[in-house]
Amino acid sequence: MNDETKLIAAAKAGSVDAFTDLVGGYRTRLLRFLLTRCASFADAEDALQDTLINAFRYLHSYDPRWRFSTWLYRIAIRNAGRLRRHDVVDLTAELGDLRDEETDPLQQCIAYSESENLWVNARRLLNDEVYAAMWLRYTEDMSVADISKTLDRSVSWTKVNLMRGRRALENELGGTGNENEAYG
Amino acid sequence: MDKLAKRLRDDAARIEVDVSDELDRRIEASLHATTPESTAPARPLARPPLFWWASTITGVAAAIVVIAIVNWRVEEQPNTAAPVDLMASTPRIELNAEAAMLTAPLQEELDKLQSDLKKAEEKVRQDIGL
Repeated sequence: MNDETKLIAAAKAGSVDAFTDLVGGYRTRLLRFLLTRCASFADAEDALQDTLINAFRYLHSYDPRWRFSTWLYRIAIRNAGRLRRHDVVDLTAELGDLRDEETDPLQQCIAYSESENLWVNARRLLNDEVYAAMWLRYTEDMSVADISKTLDRSVSWTKVNLMRGRRALENELGGTGNENEAYG
Repeated sequence: MDKLAKRLRDDAARIEVDVSDELDRRIEASLHATTPESTAPARPLARPPLFWWASTITGVAAAIVVIAIVNWRVEEQPNTAAPVDLMASTPRIELNAEAAMLTAPLQEELDKLQSDLKKAEEKVRQDIGL
């Protein structure tokens, strides 16, 4: 029984400390991911809080056949989606689309550099699901099977859309990347 | 790792973000206020084999009782229905209307039509010179 399995067992029994240790390494990574999917930094923080609380509450439903991170990201995506829909309604009803570079939380968290951050372009070019698939693949090193499980999509869909996402970004960069990368 | 994958990984790392102490405290407080659900949602109870036998026997017994009651009632009905003379039991209605009065207008009409027909026939005969 490895450390993560022990922590999961203790957290299932109600230990907050065990759960805090369990998700300690994921918090920053989750917040970074949520930041790219939420309308504001505050929303991303709320989504992170909701994700961790839901994970703690429903830990009994975690299936150990899958990686813990897969399950955690699945919850995070649902929470981000819920906040995003809420944001869309609020913005439409009250303020209109104010999401520009000055208010974009992703832009605010990117250090100044001569080259533009590719994730900003990715968000512009790709839809939410393809963006999430690319993120999970290239920042979390998830397998295609784990990504499809996280997004609740088929393996074929995941492979095809990872390839499309790559092509879209390579076209944006104007280069010819490694188009022969195999998925799965 | 190819160039694009490396660039994506590096750019993700350039997103400078950290969980603030305030958020940390908020999360911890929320976790302490949350009770994990200890068990999976209850599945419907599996019925023991005895339950199925009991329900089968009850169903068959109920069907037998219903069939028995229906047959018993059919036999109980006495076959005493004697033929009833409906004509005898029906009071006779006296019809005293006069037939002549009812048919007189029609007879007059028929006579007029025959008279018209004869006149027409004579006129045709005169026209053709017979």
